[in-house]
Amino acid sequence: MDTATIRVTRYRPEKGPEPFFQEYKVPYRNDMVVLDALNYIKANLDGTLTYRWSCRMGVCGSCGASVDGTPKLTCASFLHEFKGRTITIDPLPNFPVVKDLVVNMEDFMEKLVRIKPWIIREKETPPEQGEYKQSAEELERYQQFSSCINCMLCYSACPIYGLNEKFLGPAATALAYRYIEDSRDQGRNVRFPIVHEMEGVWECTLVGECSVVCPKGVDPMLAIQKTKILGATNAIRSILMPRGGR
Amino acid sequence: MTENKSFPELRRKLNPGWWTANRHYVQYMAREWTSLFVALFSLVYIYGLSLWVTGSRSAFLNLLKNPATIAFSFIALVFTLYHAVTWFYLLGQVVPIKIGKTTSKPWQALVANLILMLIVSYLVIWLLVLR
Amino acid sequence: MRETHKVARLHAILWGIFSLGGMIAAFLLPVMIYLTGIAYPLGLWPFNGSRDPSFLITGTLLGMLFVFVTVAGSLFHGIFRFQSALTEVGLLRLKRGLEAVGYLIIFVGIVLLAYYLLVLNPRLAAL
Repeated sequence: MDTATIRVTRYRPEKGPEPFFQEYKVPYRNDMVVLDALNYIKANLDGTLTYRWSCRMGVCGSCGASVDGTPKLTCASFLHEFKGRTITIDPLPNFPVVKDLVVNMEDFMEKLVRIKPWIIREKETPPEQGEYKQSAEELERYQQFSSCINCMLCYSACPIYGLNEKFLGPAATALAYRYIEDSRDQGRNVRFPIVHEMEGVWECTLVGECSVVCPKGVDPMLAIQKTKILGATNAIRSILMPRGGR
Repeated sequence: MTENKSFPELRRKLNPGWWTANRHYVQYMAREWTSLFVALFSLVYIYGLSLWVTGSRSAFLNLLKNPATIAFSFIALVFTLYHAVTWFYLLGQVVPIKIGKTTSKPWQALVANLILMLIVSYLVIWLLVLR
Repeated sequence: MRETHKVARLHAILWGIFSLGGMIAAFLLPVMIYLTGIAYPLGLWPFNGSRDPSFLITGTLLGMLFVFVTVAGSLFHGIFRFQSALTEVGLLRLKRGLEAVGYLIIFVGIVLLAYYLLVLNPRLAAL
């Protein structure tokens, strides 16, 4: 029977302060994904292996890990891509490790909330007046950015976030941009100061790896760049027309 | 539950060699370091002008004719062209143009801007030198 | 909060200038390097005559403007970007210092450039 060798970086702080490798051999079928291998290990070989997962089909964003050096969803990484080799699984880079493959997500969660991911209206119209209408073109302007499943792969791929934890980062900025571009939203005055602060979009130097690793086709690099352009034009406008210039 | 952490979390620092990890990162670093030659050529040019102002025009021209300056200019030109090519590709990525139903692709922006750059270069030579 | 907001606004404008410098470096710098650093010293087209690149500065105001825009824009863009490239290869702790040195070089460089060009162009030196 075919086997695959999975090498996992373990971290068991209750046992010792240093991370260590552990190798497991799992039976290989060509429709297996890395998550299947982890589940086999936990069920049959080593019940102490700890990792996050949920939907196993690429929509919940729970199972992110570094698979052979690339941030990927373990449920979306087929073993046959790595046939004949030992696969190394590390916890998602750029996040503190709680245990084994489980990382601390608090910084990410704080940033998502910080950009106020909800429709902000200057004035709510009463329900009797009907829904806020939006054309297909208006929807298209922000639709891809609403596909984010909060899997954090983009933060793991971003060296700027790796160097500076204060950087707002790809997913949070893409989400902010999703609301900025939503025709129903009137919250630019609220969101702009957040995304245009020093550790907001300006830290980004267009490495672009965030958009490469996104499993849902969101382009955070594009969102950040568009937000920078909005920031620059806004800054010039606020200097030339300090009283608002409506 | 965060107040009750009894065990330390593992913090991994990004090592300075992070950019060697994959092909995209290496290309990114090469792209960013073209800026060094863009800046250096500008500084060399300003230095040349300082020679002219404090000495004579031939001091400036002799700096240009120096083989080290010529070699440097070749390298600077290569890096500047790499900057131009990657800059045009970036433009294509971050400012996609919609024509009817289709959206432009980055390589199309690269080709279009490259042609534009050649036209502009020829215009510069024609306007300033040939006329 | 207001202080950081002003700094962020300034940074937004500096980024805008940096972007403009990038356009300049992409469209104008190659021909400038070619004319000044390669065509003239090696006697290639269009400098296989008697002219030399100092003509760009003394000959016409347009030439002088071209030199100023190209060199100033490229200098700004190059230094701005190189600063951040240095912080990414492990010099992050020196970020403030690198920024200060970088902006100093940009400021001094552009001032000197403007001064030299004004002094050297006979039409303007006569004013």
